[in-house]
Amino acid sequence: MAEIVFLVLSVITIGSAIAALEMRSLIYGSIALMGSLGGIAGFFLLLDAPFVALFQLVVYVGAIAVLILFTVMLVKRELIFKKIEDKRRKFAGIGLMLIIMVSIGAVFIDSGIKTITTDEPPVNFRDIGADFVIYYWPALILMGLILAGTVTGALVLARRVDVEVDERTN
Amino acid sequence: MSVIAPDFKLSGFIKSLLDNIFWILTLLVLIGVPAIFIILFVIPLPIIDGELLSPFLAFAALVNPTRLLPIIHAFLTTDIFKVMVFPGFGFAVLLAASVIFAERKMMAKIQLRVGPFYCGKVEGVLQLMGDGLKLISKEIIIPAKADKPIFWAAPVLFVATAAAFVALIPVAPGWVVADIDLGLLGVFAVIGFFPIITILSAWSANSKYPFIGGIRALFQMVSFEIPLILSLLGVVMVTGTLNLSEISASQSNFPWIIFLPIGAIVFFITMLAELERIPFDLPEAESEIVAGWLTELSGMMYGLVQLGSYLKLYAFAALFVVLFLGGWNGPMVVPAFPEQIITEGIEMGPITLTIEGLGPLLHDTITQEMLNGTLWFVLKTAGVIFFIILPRGVFPRVRVDILLNLGWTKLIGLCFINIFIALGLVYAGVIGPGGLV
Repeated sequence: MAEIVFLVLSVITIGSAIAALEMRSLIYGSIALMGSLGGIAGFFLLLDAPFVALFQLVVYVGAIAVLILFTVMLVKRELIFKKIEDKRRKFAGIGLMLIIMVSIGAVFIDSGIKTITTDEPPVNFRDIGADFVIYYWPALILMGLILAGTVTGALVLARRVDVEVDERTN
Repeated sequence: MSVIAPDFKLSGFIKSLLDNIFWILTLLVLIGVPAIFIILFVIPLPIIDGELLSPFLAFAALVNPTRLLPIIHAFLTTDIFKVMVFPGFGFAVLLAASVIFAERKMMAKIQLRVGPFYCGKVEGVLQLMGDGLKLISKEIIIPAKADKPIFWAAPVLFVATAAAFVALIPVAPGWVVADIDLGLLGVFAVIGFFPIITILSAWSANSKYPFIGGIRALFQMVSFEIPLILSLLGVVMVTGTLNLSEISASQSNFPWIIFLPIGAIVFFITMLAELERIPFDLPEAESEIVAGWLTELSGMMYGLVQLGSYLKLYAFAALFVVLFLGGWNGPMVVPAFPEQIITEGIEMGPITLTIEGLGPLLHDTITQEMLNGTLWFVLKTAGVIFFIILPRGVFPRVRVDILLNLGWTKLIGLCFINIFIALGLVYAGVIGPGGLV
């Protein structure tokens, strides 16, 4: 059962990733991207990590894919992209990607990951949270400060002084 | 007086009846009985109460209806029943439909109108059915340059997402479709799909007004998701769980709204914005942009979106009840079943009606706790829904910049205050493991 689900999820994820790259319509491309991200959430579910899976859905499908969709809808494709139809480049890109993927896969398989067998229960998300607060708190605080700095910077950049229009106030 | 059918003949009427009976019998013999045999041959049917569940039991049940009781009991415990009937879709649709009618009558009373009045004998109770029939019979018009696959899929996806939301709501102890440990995170994940469907539906209509409405819906929903999630973190902190059933059960003594009123208020406001209700109904502002993102939807597609949005309303109100108002908890008002009915039967007039096999049904599934929990849950949900639809008669629509300002500055700040209150309660030892209460 798990193997079948894994195969189906792989087909969905890789297929929609390819579709996201190859679709002529940008909207359909971003929908395919959503499918790809949702497939990754499915992988996390399969790995007994529902917490990560649901956060994958909340953050990637619910927020980031929506932002991409929103941006794509406000953009006219013809104005920013020039079509360069070049078969040789396309095949070269596919070949390069295949070489990279095969070599990374070979490294993974060679690293002894296949021989690992474990019967340990899935890691509880409470333990992850406790680890974050107890052992990794400097990293957490650093991350929080960086994020706060980014948000403040974005707010400062986006700040706009409203021009008072006399006719409206009258 | 006009004649409805001037060519009416009694003999013709009787002939048509006989014709119908003849064809029903013929089709039953030629198709129905072979179908029963095929079902018996192909599908392994369950054994209930020592008896194989076969289609022929239907004939036996015609003679002795009490033989149906074990089958009903077995059906009540299946997942199909949970998904389709009681805590799931059917129950939610029933509540949502009554909300539509109650809302129309209530708006009318607030604005000194009559409201639906003529359809049905009493106060227009059949108005909703009439509206549904009208929507079903209307032609579905698709704009010429619309993106057809997305345009067709969007209403169905909307209802499906709302139903997925409903599936996470616990109605009574043990009565929930999907009792997962991370129920609240599941709610957040489901809520994240609504803006996607809305904007896709709006874009695919290829029309100006839906697109403006869709963009408005998108930024309204996405920016109010943040205070929504943050306002619920306080409850998660004081209960220490994300499971909605456990959160509901943890409020047996007092509801969390007593300790976390700020979170409840913020959640209520964000709920109004997520549901696109007045005063935040910018996506469907009918006086500005026709009907917003619903403009190009017609016929049953519009009906589906309406159904989905009212299911969503029920689900949000139910979530408010589960998180802040104590869910199914309440004083026991449902009386216990008299044992006499189960053991001896009911005595009515000259005869005594004995119903056998009622015991497991009343002890396992339809228990006193379940009925009481459902009663309190429905009462509280109805109260919350009343407060959700009340602003529609009272408030005007807010401006876009006021809405975003409210969401991004005030509500998020209030959420953090709420989180600090919850943290203070937990660390001061008031609530939580080993706490005072």
